Amino acid sequence: MGLKQYNKYFFDTLLLDGPTDKIKKIAELNKINFNYINENKFSISLNETTSVKDVQKIVDTIAKALNIDLFEIDLNNSTNRFPDQLKRGSKFMDSKIFNKYHSETALMRYIKNLERKDLSLTHSMISLGSCTMKLNAASEMLPISWAKWNNIHPFVPLNQARGYQKLIKKLEKQLNEITGFSGTSLQPNSGAQGEYAGLMVIRAYLKSISQEHRNICLIPSSAHGTNPASAVMAGMKVVVVGTDKHGNINVDELKEKATHYKDNLAALMITYPSTHGVFESSIQEITETIHSNGGQVYMDGANMNAQVGLTNPFIIGADVCHLNLHKTFAIPHGGGGPGVGPICVAKHLVPFLPNNPIINVSSNESIKSISGAPWGSALACVISYGYISMLGAKGLRSSTEFAILNANYIKNRIENHYDILYTGEKGRAAHELIIDCRSFKSNGIEVMDIAKRLIDYGFHAPTVSFPVPGTMMIEPTESENIEEINRFCDAMIHIRKEIDECAETETNNLLKNAPHTMKMIMQENWNYPYSRQKAAFPTSYVLENKFWPSVRRVDDAYGDRNLICTCEPIESYQ
Amino acid sequence: MYDFSDRHIGINNLDKINMLEYVGSKSIKELISETIPENIRLKKEMNLKPALSESKYLSHIDKLGSKNKIYKSYIGLGYNEAIVPSVIKRNILENPSWYTAYTPYQAEIAQGRMEALLNYQTIICDLTGMQLANASLLDESTAAAEAMTMLFSLRNREQKKSNVCNFFVSKNTLPQTISLLETRAEPLGIQIEIGDFDQFNYDSSFYGCLMQYPGVYGGIENIEKHCSQAKNNNIKIVVAADLFSLCLLKKPSLFGADVVVGTSQRFGIPLGYGGPHAAYFATKDEYKRSVPGRIIGLTKDSDDDPALRMALQTREQHIKRDRATSNICTSQVLLAVMAGMYGVFHGPKGLKEIASIFIKKRQYLKGI
Repeated sequence: MGLKQYNKYFFDTLLLDGPTDKIKKIAELNKINFNYINENKFSISLNETTSVKDVQKIVDTIAKALNIDLFEIDLNNSTNRFPDQLKRGSKFMDSKIFNKYHSETALMRYIKNLERKDLSLTHSMISLGSCTMKLNAASEMLPISWAKWNNIHPFVPLNQARGYQKLIKKLEKQLNEITGFSGTSLQPNSGAQGEYAGLMVIRAYLKSISQEHRNICLIPSSAHGTNPASAVMAGMKVVVVGTDKHGNINVDELKEKATHYKDNLAALMITYPSTHGVFESSIQEITETIHSNGGQVYMDGANMNAQVGLTNPFIIGADVCHLNLHKTFAIPHGGGGPGVGPICVAKHLVPFLPNNPIINVSSNESIKSISGAPWGSALACVISYGYISMLGAKGLRSSTEFAILNANYIKNRIENHYDILYTGEKGRAAHELIIDCRSFKSNGIEVMDIAKRLIDYGFHAPTVSFPVPGTMMIEPTESENIEEINRFCDAMIHIRKEIDECAETETNNLLKNAPHTMKMIMQENWNYPYSRQKAAFPTSYVLENKFWPSVRRVDDAYGDRNLICTCEPIESYQ
Repeated sequence: MYDFSDRHIGINNLDKINMLEYVGSKSIKELISETIPENIRLKKEMNLKPALSESKYLSHIDKLGSKNKIYKSYIGLGYNEAIVPSVIKRNILENPSWYTAYTPYQAEIAQGRMEALLNYQTIICDLTGMQLANASLLDESTAAAEAMTMLFSLRNREQKKSNVCNFFVSKNTLPQTISLLETRAEPLGIQIEIGDFDQFNYDSSFYGCLMQYPGVYGGIENIEKHCSQAKNNNIKIVVAADLFSLCLLKKPSLFGADVVVGTSQRFGIPLGYGGPHAAYFATKDEYKRSVPGRIIGLTKDSDDDPALRMALQTREQHIKRDRATSNICTSQVLLAVMAGMYGVFHGPKGLKEIASIFIKKRQYLKGI
């Protein structure tokens, strides 16, 4: 057809000259999208799904746009435009693992084999504090398998993505209502990204009011590690504020530091309820102090599951918050991602929400991209939209209430066996609670031993040593039923008795040897001072529903000294 | 009849009454008033649409989805339609045993997904030629930004002293990556220059550079020359590479790349209107203590049997806080697991064939 092709060498993409207006018109009639760079340049990227028929359609489309007679593509044409000097000579993926699971049966069994080694919500409650491991309902998940939601390119013209555009608007509106704020950006694709985005928005706002010199970020000592790391990335200087003996932010120290830095105070990052699982009653006093010293308040939304429908970040006096849609709003954790960390902001910050260079999603004042795609991990947002739409206002509020009830029930059940570290002024936990395991040192037991022993009971440990070293933080969520909550409490109480039987000087005991694998239990000679049954089936429930760990306790330090991060056959290291 | 909230919330009415009694509260209302300070309580119910039943929601989301027009997109720009093998879709993506698991902090009960992630890291190391890969980052653009900042903090003493802070970015880089590099550079005092490598003077005010391989519009000229010049001038190199193309193209380690980043979306992950997809980050062994994100590594258990766990955790934010190598926490494990499994399913031969098909189809277009 005589179009000029610019790339001397190429892989899957052609860069072409042509009247893009005309081509675009015909292409869209033929349900095809090219990448239109300017009025006379466009590119075509082929992919795994492109068939010969698709290629013919591309040719037909361009021919029609150029008023050229249609012609059939030449299947014998195979002029090599691949550069010899860049041709790969070296082999790859030689390892056995990549060369034996090519039939579906083989792969299905390999996947199942791996799956069986992992404990997930399909086995038991995962009461990880600050992680909110709630139900990821099947109805929320189904649409992500549908082509109408999952097979759309992020840079298609907006009129091809009307379903998404509507869903995004609705979800933003829902999240605005839930947080009390005026604007939402779904772009950050993790909680930490949300933190960074929120701080960058604050920064842009401060600049707009000629306060760009403000760079001090106050952060409580109990904050998630991502908070100080994000603040540094946003060019801020971290100043840590301590906590009092009740686990609350030290208000006097905060006031002193806010006043001391009043000329340079940019922001406070605060988690609410606190990472200690407490609704601090001084929160409004805290946020007012920051505002009166010229700073903005960033609320970390990790604990939003204790707020929804009962209070909100706007009321407590925050200016911006992120939400972890993969915690509070039912996106599954996926074994460590995907996450979605939208930010919701007060009115004065809305103009600064992040943009995208290809699809314009914000205003002139907006900050640049936080994630590559305009709406980040848009497909995962469908899950949260389903969660909110199916629960409604009352269901969301009840979920929060039951999350709080469950945490308080666990607190009452185990408080005679474990010290509860912090509670609110009236003795209540929020949606999670911290138990102190430091006193067991006199029995030679560390918090990690309890975590590993829980595996023998079929449970994933609560969060270990965060936010306080030597403790566990338990968050049951609203989705667990009473039987499961009781089983967990029973296991904890049972373990407490086992701790009592341990002595500081003796390391050959149930907790130090945990978890117990099947291989260990089945060995011919049993040389432990307790029975096999006690080791692997400590309660009758475990007999009915045993989860076997596939390895014994791992040695972290050894692996770091001898770093191997690729899979040569495992046998070769034995 | 049960509504969705009865399915989502585990406690039934009778249990609720017993539990309230156990904790010594007369009602939920009383419990909440003892938990949340009165002055910050919402005065009324949130204003949201009435709850939909599960079946009503499914027909609603089906109808809403039909407003999306699914065209054949040849847009590229870092996102290309891929075939999700059904066996992976059904057994991983749609399988709660995979998608409801947590980050593998309790290694003993997470060996399965860590093996899958080790496979992923191995594929990345093999294709890029680099020694060390992490278990995924959030997307290609953030991975490029992480590379830029990692190399910034790895500048030598001399460079730090004389504040060498320029970073050169090829104009043939994905626009969203350039935008993200600009976001991340500014607060840290990194100066970005976007331009043509052919006109770049490689002067000593630059500590690093980034090139897209193949380029944003498909070109793959002169990458070897640019890399060797950068190397000769002590400028560190980031290559943002299309993972599939590396099945046929020379691996970036041969050009002296310091970091190679990109997306693994083409390895059987749906487009999803932009994500989620797993980005990869691969680098040299000597930078291992500065790598952002989680790395799965081999160790042994107390019986000396091989076992996997997250390696070198002291780099990360939950330990290092404001001195961490990055703020990254959650990454894209489920997608990395899927991409790794795509590699297991197709193997090197299958991948090479798929990559060759792109080329063949593209050659048919020569008539244009």
